[in-house]
Amino acid sequence: MQRWDLRSLFAPRLVVHAHCDIPCGIYDPSAAKVAADTVAKMVEKIQGFAKEIPTAQGAAEVTARNNFVRSISVKEEHAQIVKKELLILWSDYFKPEHLEKYPQLHDTFWKAAKLCSKNKQTVDAQAAADLQAAVKEISDIFWATKKQ
Amino acid sequence: MRPATLLFRVAVTGPSMEPTVRDGDWLLVRQLRRAPRVGELVVAVDPREPERLLVKRVSAVDGDQVSVAGDQQERSTDSRHFGPLPASAVLGRPVLRYAPLQRAGLIR
Repeated sequence: MQRWDLRSLFAPRLVVHAHCDIPCGIYDPSAAKVAADTVAKMVEKIQGFAKEIPTAQGAAEVTARNNFVRSISVKEEHAQIVKKELLILWSDYFKPEHLEKYPQLHDTFWKAAKLCSKNKQTVDAQAAADLQAAVKEISDIFWATKKQ
Repeated sequence: MRPATLLFRVAVTGPSMEPTVRDGDWLLVRQLRRAPRVGELVVAVDPREPERLLVKRVSAVDGDQVSVAGDQQERSTDSRHFGPLPASAVLGRPVLRYAPLQRAGLIR
């Protein structure tokens, strides 16, 4: 008992990290966030170009159509990036002890992944905003676990 | 995060500074009131997470920019990944290991 008291008397209150993140992986939800923001931006752009196309003429029409298709392609690609980045966090970063603290974690990831698919299938500002919110929720949980 | 006292105690976690300091070591750290020097062990604020402290070795000093590295290159995340730190991020220099007792002694 006395020994324990001595121990707590001398125990440091600060921790210094001599860690390696590399073999264990550096995890960061910001890539998913940037990709989700890109999806939302592309939804905006697609809707803008869709309005432009019917009134554009000649070269301007070709440019508008080109931009329209490119925006769709970028939206598709970045929705997939969100899915991939979330999968990395879900499968590699989060551990059973995180799940105990955040029991909704699996459901949150599942819904976020489904929102990625929905954003591929649709041009829907609400779906894009929902995806951004889902990524933010995961990001908040991630940073909360880092603080412990 | 900057400690108020000239000397402060820290507990080491992680393998990147073996064998100089090991996981579980308790160290006495002296606040650094001068520019860090190449080759010395330092305690610094993690540039990625201001609440987190690192213990690393100074690998380069360029004006106000200090690069740090782990002694175990394969098992360290350091300036090779997150870049140099401002000199102000360096808080102090471990001077003494006081636990475990069998390895207690001055740190070089």
